[in-house]
Amino acid sequence: MLRQEINELLTRTGPGTPMGELFRQYWLPACLAEELPDDDCPPVRLKLLSERLIAFRDSHGRYGLIDEFCAHRGASLWFGRNEEGGLRCPYHGWKYDVTGQCVEVPSEADNTRFCRNVRLTAYPLVKIGDVLWTHMGDPATRPPLPEFEFALVPPEQTYTSKRLQQCNWLQAFEGGIDSSHVTFLHSGGLKNDPLFKGAKGNEYNQNDTKPFFEVADSDGGLFVGARRNAENGSYYWRITPWVMPCFTMVPPRGDHPIHGHFWIPVDDENCWVYSFDYHPVRALTAAERQAMIDGHGVHSENIPGTYRPVANRDNDYLMDREKQRTGEYYSGVKGIAIQDASLQESMGPIADRTRERLVPADAGIIKARLKLRKAAIALRDHGTTPPGVDPAHHRVRSAAVVLPHAESFLDACREDVRVRPGVPIASV
Amino acid sequence: MATRHVSPQDPSLPGSCARAATAAEARYRIRRPVAPARAPRVIALDDGAAEIVRRTAALPWATARFYTCASGEGTPQLHGIEGRPATLADELATADVVVMIATDDGGAGGAHAVGTACRQRGIMTAGLVVPNTGVDADADAADRAVAAMRPHARVLLPGADESDVVELLTALRA
Repeated sequence: MLRQEINELLTRTGPGTPMGELFRQYWLPACLAEELPDDDCPPVRLKLLSERLIAFRDSHGRYGLIDEFCAHRGASLWFGRNEEGGLRCPYHGWKYDVTGQCVEVPSEADNTRFCRNVRLTAYPLVKIGDVLWTHMGDPATRPPLPEFEFALVPPEQTYTSKRLQQCNWLQAFEGGIDSSHVTFLHSGGLKNDPLFKGAKGNEYNQNDTKPFFEVADSDGGLFVGARRNAENGSYYWRITPWVMPCFTMVPPRGDHPIHGHFWIPVDDENCWVYSFDYHPVRALTAAERQAMIDGHGVHSENIPGTYRPVANRDNDYLMDREKQRTGEYYSGVKGIAIQDASLQESMGPIADRTRERLVPADAGIIKARLKLRKAAIALRDHGTTPPGVDPAHHRVRSAAVVLPHAESFLDACREDVRVRPGVPIASV
Repeated sequence: MATRHVSPQDPSLPGSCARAATAAEARYRIRRPVAPARAPRVIALDDGAAEIVRRTAALPWATARFYTCASGEGTPQLHGIEGRPATLADELATADVVVMIATDDGGAGGAHAVGTACRQRGIMTAGLVVPNTGVDADADAADRAVAAMRPHARVLLPGADESDVVELLTALRA
């Protein structure tokens, strides 16, 4: 249960809100690099943190992220002509560069002087890996660029997709640190999904449906350890890192690629889910990459030309009661991503947390909410830089290990949960 | 590839399909009051934890009850935070969750006894280890407390602070 005023604080991310200001401290995924594939390609409409923006790539390969609407009459620059180093509004020909600076007003005689005073809000847009990242906060406190491992390994070792989820970011993110639902909701995927099946760890997952949890602070957020019985005298541990505000990783399975998510607010009732898979020490196989493109694992099959999943709330997520009955899909919904999305969207556009009945197993979620709240208030009241801004906090990995009963996962896996270039993930 | 984008059932009411998740439909969710948890027991396992539990108990709670635990040999002796003696079996008879608080391993015996009793009764358990940060604190005491509590707490929060105790109890509707 959460008081309504705290729920409001955590779920509202528009300009001027405490959580909105918190998000604006970080570099965040703005879009995929594939959305702006070429110089002078069509611009992309984006809404991020309740701000409507246009992303474009100019004639010289520079990326820009600017206010969607022309300063003149407020027409959308999505209709713009991306040409000769800028984006031109087709209504009256006003043109903007990637910094939002107006560079041409053809109707005015002395247009250089006039232009100088016309500038749209603009944010930086930087390509790292498959993602274009932005920082929507104060340029004076802009942190160094992000250093998440999935974005830094060579291109042949990584794949990132995205999908729209029609609910508030917080309830989507909370699924990312809720390890206990995997045994139920995703049980079919452990047996059938080409990016999950076959790992020894899956047997531990399926044989012990009542895991124990440990929730520990990390420099950037939390480590959530879920422990299940393994062979005599040992436990199977799955360790999920969360880096504030919205980066989570899924513990690995066998030699499958390791995966995770960013949960990015579009507005208060929608979010982008960025889903990545990478392998730290080898290229993805053709079969693995194709499985990701086809929507297996943590990815989704999207409506062609969009990032909206084919199975969505307008078609009841293509619910299949027969497969629910046989257990092929525990909930009757196909695919791990849509299984999560269907239930999280069903909670409503912004989950009413005043009506929850949480249990001790939800401690990871409870602790994450507290950390978010404390960080947002410390930033608002004292200007305190929140955890997760420092790139050193980004260098984490998930892990799945078998340990003797007496060992603490925090002590035993201290190195396993840190990025060590060239070193394989710790996985069972 | 599937191209079906409308429900095969063609629901006649917006509330009869997943589209009920819209903001407009969310207004029609039943708003009946939610009952509090069934008498959570909050047990301090050592002297440092007792101070935390006393402060926490002073906050307004629905049905939570707060205890200290003297853990010698055999059955632990509980006392209500106001000093009234209590027996573990009686207190667990109506509880559905027990939250254990420790600051060092002085309450290891209590953790074992309480955890075992809860497991036998199917009662959920949570354990919070709030390290003593004083200048004369034993740096390893919290680690030993975590090790002592690990087998007995379904959820364990090492490195917790007092606000975690309040937050967990609030979330549990204590």
